[in-house]
Amino acid sequence: MERFSYVRAESIPHAVTLLNAPGVRSRVLAGGTDLVLLAREQRNLCDRVVDITLVPELHEIRRVTNGAGDHVQIGAGATFSEIVASALVRETAPLLSDACHSVGATQIRNMGTLGGNVANAAACADSLPALVCLDAVAHVVTPTEELAWPVADFVTRPNRTQLPPGGLLTALSYLVPARGSRGVFLKLGRRNAMAISRLTVAALGRLDGQGRIAEVRIAPGSATPHIHRFSQTEAHMLGQAPSVALCQEAGQAAVAEMLEVTGKRWSSEFKEPALQAMVARALMSVFNLADEEQLA
Amino acid sequence: MKIEFTLNGHPISVEAPADISLLHLLRDHLNLTGTKEGCGVGECGACSVLLDGRLVNSCMVLAPQAGGREVVTIEGIRGPDGGPNDLQQNFIDYGAVQCGYCIPGMILAGEALLAKTLTPDRAEIREAIAGNLCRCTGYQQIVDAIEVTAADRRKGAGATDTRSPIPSPRSQEVTHG
Repeated sequence: MERFSYVRAESIPHAVTLLNAPGVRSRVLAGGTDLVLLAREQRNLCDRVVDITLVPELHEIRRVTNGAGDHVQIGAGATFSEIVASALVRETAPLLSDACHSVGATQIRNMGTLGGNVANAAACADSLPALVCLDAVAHVVTPTEELAWPVADFVTRPNRTQLPPGGLLTALSYLVPARGSRGVFLKLGRRNAMAISRLTVAALGRLDGQGRIAEVRIAPGSATPHIHRFSQTEAHMLGQAPSVALCQEAGQAAVAEMLEVTGKRWSSEFKEPALQAMVARALMSVFNLADEEQLA
Repeated sequence: MKIEFTLNGHPISVEAPADISLLHLLRDHLNLTGTKEGCGVGECGACSVLLDGRLVNSCMVLAPQAGGREVVTIEGIRGPDGGPNDLQQNFIDYGAVQCGYCIPGMILAGEALLAKTLTPDRAEIREAIAGNLCRCTGYQQIVDAIEVTAADRRKGAGATDTRSPIPSPRSQEVTHG
């Protein structure tokens, strides 16, 4: 007997209608890299799989300019490969390109989607720290309304989001960072390909006309259960002239900020020095400072 | 449910459950056992196939996802005479095949790369096969075989592949390290 049936959505409204069919427990198939495995483990996962992989609008990556500024909107069904190949994303948010490039290997990047990564919200999801660093917004469509949350609020903890039952995550958007901003994404894994992240850091910053830090954003992944910007660490740096010493202090501040949330855990012994070094290196890269430890 | 798609260039219609993987459909319903199951969870790449030209792990694709689309498996990769094509022959010649279990996936990963570029450097080749595990060769020979095929195809040799499926003398000179 089939454990679930399959239906293919043609458009976003069609997908939402299918997801809200009364009496049918439906699950969205965005890329399949999580769902197909989950369906194998949980025999009674759903009654029907709604395949959204071929909905054209969900693959669109476009610039949206409105009163609030210049945004880039990425359809939730865009695969990591499509995002890596996007000149618009590369030009406006290279740290997101790099985060998407660090996912799995070719096969996984050809299948896995940005929306799936966000909606599944694995603790180690590589795109999440990048999206949080970009202050990205998650766009959701339900049968009655269109909703939006900052990604940092949308993903509440590992595998938990604010997605309402029957809602479809349709896009992720971010305000194009101000001119002069530089962003980086660093990942610590056991090897280059296919590695599950042990720790990631997305960071972005910009100097003012006097060479002082006008803006800095730091979003570590796999460090805390809820991925968020480390605002205390950011505040420590604002208004200062960037230096190697300041970046190293920020690394220490980030460790303290992580421990405030998580307390000491079995993995802290490993994560503390790793996070400190990664935050410091990310910031040195953002502010174009030579990492003397690495050069030595 | 009825699943209709193009398999290795030929239209096909098959009755199969909706909840099985494309890998299971290929191997157990269509008897195309060239596509291998390694890990079954998308880590090893042994089950790689091309879906609309893109390399995917068929263990993570639901069989009905193939509906209306084009699937190429290792059975669809061959020379004009039915023997190995140039990439497959180079795998043989360069000692890139030992136990052979990863090779169908490796060949498809190689073909997916060569469809995109005929000027890959070794780093690009390694990245292109990063999702395909081989526990025998240490990858060196596989990278060599793909690199040589790219060079041959650049020269247009791939278009008129006249190689015999019988291994050339070169293969005997290859040392296995």
